[in-house]
Amino acid sequence: MSHRRATEDAKKGSAELIILAIVEREAHHGYEIAKVIEERSNGGLTFTLATLYATLYRLEDRGWIKGRWVEKAGARRRCYYRITDAGRSVLAEQRADWSRFVAALSQVAGVKYA
Amino acid sequence: MNTPRHDWKALVVRRAHATGADGLARHTIDELAAHLEDLYLEARASGRSERDAYAMAERALLESALATVPRSQTRAPESRPDLGEPPSRGLTGVGADVRFALRQLRRAPAFAAVAIATLGLGAGAATAIFSVIDTVLLRPLPFREPHQLVAIWEGNAVKALPKERLSPVNFMDYRGVQSSFTDAAAWWRPEVNLTRPDSEPVRVSAIEVSGNLFDLLGVSPQLGPGFPQHGPFYSRDPLAVISNRLWHQRYAADPGIVGRRLDSKDGNYIIVGVMPAGFDFPADVDLWLRLTWDLTQHSRGAHFMEAVGRLKPGVTAEQASRELASVSARLAAANAATNRDWMARAVPLLDDMLGYYRPALFVLLGAVGLLLVTACLNVASLLLARATVRAREMAVRAALGASRIRLVRQVLIESLVLAAAGTVAGGLSALGLLRIAIAALPASIPRLAATTTDVRLLAFALAVVAATAILFGVVPALVLSRTQASEALKDGTRTATSARGRRWNRVLVVVEVALACTVLVASALLVRSVSRMIHAPTGVSSHGVVTGTLQLSSSGYPTWPNVDQFYASFLDAVRRQPGVESAGAATALPLEAGWRLPFDVDGRPAAREDERPIAQHVAITSGYFEALRAQLVAGRWLTDRDTASAEPVIVVNQTFARRAFPGEEAVGKRIVSTARYIGPLGRNLLEAGPFRIVGVVADIHQAPLDQPDEPVIYHSARQFPFRAMTLVARGGDEASVIAALRSGLRALDPSLPLSNVRTMDDRLLARTAAPRLLMFVLVAFAILTVTLAVIGVYGLLACLVNERRRELAIRLALGAQPVALARLVTTQGLALTMGGVLLGLVLAQLAGGMLRGVLFETRPSDVVAMGTASGLLLAAAAVACLAPARRAARVAPSEGLKDHG
Repeated sequence: MSHRRATEDAKKGSAELIILAIVEREAHHGYEIAKVIEERSNGGLTFTLATLYATLYRLEDRGWIKGRWVEKAGARRRCYYRITDAGRSVLAEQRADWSRFVAALSQVAGVKYA
Repeated sequence: MNTPRHDWKALVVRRAHATGADGLARHTIDELAAHLEDLYLEARASGRSERDAYAMAERALLESALATVPRSQTRAPESRPDLGEPPSRGLTGVGADVRFALRQLRRAPAFAAVAIATLGLGAGAATAIFSVIDTVLLRPLPFREPHQLVAIWEGNAVKALPKERLSPVNFMDYRGVQSSFTDAAAWWRPEVNLTRPDSEPVRVSAIEVSGNLFDLLGVSPQLGPGFPQHGPFYSRDPLAVISNRLWHQRYAADPGIVGRRLDSKDGNYIIVGVMPAGFDFPADVDLWLRLTWDLTQHSRGAHFMEAVGRLKPGVTAEQASRELASVSARLAAANAATNRDWMARAVPLLDDMLGYYRPALFVLLGAVGLLLVTACLNVASLLLARATVRAREMAVRAALGASRIRLVRQVLIESLVLAAAGTVAGGLSALGLLRIAIAALPASIPRLAATTTDVRLLAFALAVVAATAILFGVVPALVLSRTQASEALKDGTRTATSARGRRWNRVLVVVEVALACTVLVASALLVRSVSRMIHAPTGVSSHGVVTGTLQLSSSGYPTWPNVDQFYASFLDAVRRQPGVESAGAATALPLEAGWRLPFDVDGRPAAREDERPIAQHVAITSGYFEALRAQLVAGRWLTDRDTASAEPVIVVNQTFARRAFPGEEAVGKRIVSTARYIGPLGRNLLEAGPFRIVGVVADIHQAPLDQPDEPVIYHSARQFPFRAMTLVARGGDEASVIAALRSGLRALDPSLPLSNVRTMDDRLLARTAAPRLLMFVLVAFAILTVTLAVIGVYGLLACLVNERRRELAIRLALGAQPVALARLVTTQGLALTMGGVLLGLVLAQLAGGMLRGVLFETRPSDVVAMGTASGLLLAAAAVACLAPARRAARVAPSEGLKDHG
């Protein structure tokens, strides 16, 4: 398994967790979310447009986040996503899951937190 | 910094198209475009060149597999742009909504056509029939205080004679019931010929009536004084009143007619009045002669008077009937021989005038009501089906920002447009159908010709139609607009909404089928009943027989031997004409009753006065039985040699022979009859007899079809002559037989009119005219309602197949045979129909009471009628299943995979 493949797989599994975490505090539109991911991971994690929006819609479909269109004077209208109550509890669960997983990984495979 | 404007949306759409991701939702394109623009602007802001910045954005797009972005049609409506109402696109105004509605209907022409035609036909038929019923049944008669008027009849339950005319003597006793009646008038129907040297003799329909008739009804002549007000009940002064019709046709509306002599040889009548145009009582009478004889001086046993009475204020027909019954009982005790078991009763005049048409019109009312309900249900189920199908469209529009009120308004306007079209169609068809109904219904229905479309009734029917269209257009829309859009948008799957819609639709269709089944059972019962009536044995072969009536005047033929001589030589002359096989005459034809009088068997101890048997007395000439091909059971027919100077002889029917001589040979036995005079009509020249029975004829039915055979004595007309007789002549073709009758008459007495010339078949058929008419109308209604119900079944199945395409395709992919799928659909359709049929059969039984009054020898539970109706309905439903079943069988397996995003 190449390095790249491993990252891709991890990204797929964690994309939902990441996005939920980003919109947990405040609402963001798609570009902002992409920027935040890029900045917080120091460019180590980037999603293509397709992956980003597919994930957003999937989350919205499940009722974990909610989009709301906002129009500001002189600017293109944008859809701002905010976490829902259901999303919050899923986020808490996923955080716990990942914590356990990473802890196990570090013990078994010597993987350390970055 | 130079920042050219790029069309990011176009870039996204191009890229999507190039990668086969055409289905991107609009908001997705918006979001992606915004994202690219942000990317570009930030790159520019960080100092990149315009070209680099654009290339960055382009790369981001090229890296994205847009086809993996879900079409995302499942976004909840809450995620709609936060902009309030979307910009107007010409749909804000009502006018635009109407235009949109019209466009919607044009896009579904079959739906629109069926809905509008159904509404129009339902409302039209309902209005037409309601109008007829309103005019004929519900509007009061054009007489003073018409609710106080009753017809008076006598009946004899023991002899199975439910409704007979009154004996004149009995009538005078009934008239004296002061507690019930303020007055009563009576009449009988003599035959009157009008003759004038310069014109053809005509026979007019006349009554000889007590002088109080017009006072009692509260009508006066338009011309002349009429019978003197409060004048005598009967008088030797012969007075006549003529109808407006006769005045115009015979006397050219001569204003000087009053005071002139009536040109009849039957009496010296002076015309004292012309009745107004609308006056028609009793029906079809053109001449009212004042009674010239004393009713009390007649026989209690002869029933030939008709009567109308005016009830005292506050007295009901039932109360009067009870009073009459007690008088009848008293008369029966005092005059057992003539009055035993006879009972008089009063019937509200309008009900009586309508006779069979009263229950018939109520049956029609029921049928048309069911038709209207079925039409409404059909439109309701069409609208419901459409609403379910359109749930998706609604959801999309809601997702695009249309508010619920907005959507409901749109649907409401669409329903209103449909209702408006339906009401226009309804109004037009009401006018047309009413015209057809008046033309098709027999003129003998009283007051039918006066029927016009009642605006109130039309308004009512149209309101029902409009209410249906609006109710069933809007309610589903309301329900559906509340649905989760995400649910409605799951195209191609069966959602909870559509399942709910379908459930209602199934209920509607089952009810439709049930109502259609009810109407179908009713019409099948009528068909059975009419066929039984037409094929009921009459004892004669009517085919090829021509009939006509002759009436000899008392001035032209003053003595009974004159009368006998005339008929003998006339019939002789007719028989010698070419083309005539046999000819004869009788006082009562088959299905008509003769005079009912008591008789004794010679040699047996005389029965007690009140136990003397009664038989019908009919006088016939030689050749009568032969012309009708009656069956001789024993002995011989009457011949021309059975004259007044020969031995008194009679022929009796089988019922007579069986009752009077059980187990014995009737031929040769002797009968004593007390029949001497039959009013001024006929006279027994041989006094009491005794009459020897020379022949027994197989029963000829001498009563209405719904009454049993009675004992009948056939006298020789040469021994018991009558002035008025009905001729019967059999020959190869009708025209030459009629010509023979006319030429025979011209040679003997050119002043005599031959009236009422008809074939025997026509006469017998006329007896079934009313039931046949009812049958035709009911069958027409049944066809309409069944068609509507079948459309309902078809529509429902078509929708179900459409919705279940995916399921059917998967079944097919998993190895199901197409035939099995077709069977699945057909079974479903037939199961629904079966449910409706069962319900309909129950309904038909509940309506049985209404039907009983119009059926002949057919019970509402007639198995053949119910079976036929069910079979027809199931067959029609099976036909309706064909197209949906075929479509189900032709579903492509790939359809199972499509339609699922």
